[in-house]
Amino acid sequence: MKTLIIELRKEKRTGVIPLLLLVGILGAAYAFINFIVRKDTLLNLPLAPMDVLLTQLYGMIMVLNMFGIVVAACMVYNMEFKGTAIKKMYMLPISVPKMYLCKFFILTVLLLTAIVLQNLALLKIGISDLPKGTFEMDTLLKFTAYSFITSMPTLSFMVLVSSRSQNMWMPLGIGVAGFLSGMALAGSNVSLLLVHPFVVMLKPAVAMSAQLDNGIAIIAMAETSLLLGIGLWMAKHLRYE
Amino acid sequence: MDYIITTERLTKKYKNFISVNKVSMHIQKGSIYGFLGPNGAGKSTTMKMLLGLTSPTGGRFTVDGGHFPDDRISILKKVGSFIESPSFYANLTGRENLDIIRRILGLPESAVNDALDLVGLAEFGNRLAKKYSLGMKQRLGLAGALLGRPPILILDEPTNGLDPSGIHEIRNLIKSLPSLYDCTVLISSHMLSEIELMADDIGILNHGRLLFEGSLDELRQNAVQAGFAADNKISSANLEDMFLSMIDKDNAVRKQRAQL
Repeated sequence: MKTLIIELRKEKRTGVIPLLLLVGILGAAYAFINFIVRKDTLLNLPLAPMDVLLTQLYGMIMVLNMFGIVVAACMVYNMEFKGTAIKKMYMLPISVPKMYLCKFFILTVLLLTAIVLQNLALLKIGISDLPKGTFEMDTLLKFTAYSFITSMPTLSFMVLVSSRSQNMWMPLGIGVAGFLSGMALAGSNVSLLLVHPFVVMLKPAVAMSAQLDNGIAIIAMAETSLLLGIGLWMAKHLRYE
Repeated sequence: MDYIITTERLTKKYKNFISVNKVSMHIQKGSIYGFLGPNGAGKSTTMKMLLGLTSPTGGRFTVDGGHFPDDRISILKKVGSFIESPSFYANLTGRENLDIIRRILGLPESAVNDALDLVGLAEFGNRLAKKYSLGMKQRLGLAGALLGRPPILILDEPTNGLDPSGIHEIRNLIKSLPSLYDCTVLISSHMLSEIELMADDIGILNHGRLLFEGSLDELRQNAVQAGFAADNKISSANLEDMFLSMIDKDNAVRKQRAQL
């Protein structure tokens, strides 16, 4: 808890917290505006109303979340490397893996908040704009959890990458490359490509149904845990040199 | 003797050179130990090893009876340090930077003001650290090391970047610390004239090897024996000559060895 409070205090003026909240608000605003403008077109698609609500708006929301994760992860470690503050942390009686875990936790909570904001917008649209009797609350909740779980490998990967790069442009470049390659590969059915964390995040966006894919959810959780484990191990074993 | 830091044949070998070569140091509790050597002698690397920032490739050391990595947290609780350049969060003010360290160390809030006062930074505490001048950043780094008045201080060239009056002020502060709150100071410099004004004991390092370890008086005696002082009167200039001669002699031996 002490480490978490310290990490939160370090975030002051970095813009990490406002950034991910803004991503949530922008995603929610996009969903509202898109549904107001394209309501008839969307509801006339040959899809179930819940599938329209959850899959047709998710693409842009997911891109916003992805960029939010990439930039926030870069910022969260850039403040450690700028002014070599991390060197001071290594010389203080604080657990470096705990520090890593707290940064990961802060970003996770912020991403979850952004996703909740976006899905509150979908809830409002679902209740007021979908044909009567077609809105399913449990489907929305499941899809919210699914989109959060499939976003986590990207977050875990980006925290790991940014914790190892003193130059912020490196993880930022890797993030952009991850996004572009993920976009190119997401449509493929080759299971091996799911090792790519960005592909996992993009999967719900390229699906035409709001039905959850348990296999992808399990892979996402495994990847998240594995990348987090690697990050913690590296934080413990690789020292400042 | 009551030693608080000891190293035994401490070695740090990189791929193609040896930065620290079998150094055995003995730092007495409550003393100021001046760690002297030209640039690249291995002073910072030795200090980094003592703080667990880099691991030795040979030998061992103890800090107040503790070993790295097993006792990392308990050792670092007792050590205030300042290595190479000041480290700070650019997005935070000087006071907020020290508050982060205070929270890690579990100190009362008053410790921040105490440290700011000690280094003469109290009136600039609310300015963003990134807007500090080099000298102010240096003072902030020192304040971070002095926070909570730790029993051991490891300071690597702490007066770098300070103006002459700043150097004088910080030097007097460091000199007063053992009597102020009974701490032990390990301070490095490449200038004997500076160390001479503060240290009780001296270690002279060149190309990773410890050429001399002893009290300042012993160094003076050596200077007399080596013929660096006329009429047995030792001045700072004599000691500086003695130091430079030791370095030159060691460099010549190394060169000769390399040619063979």
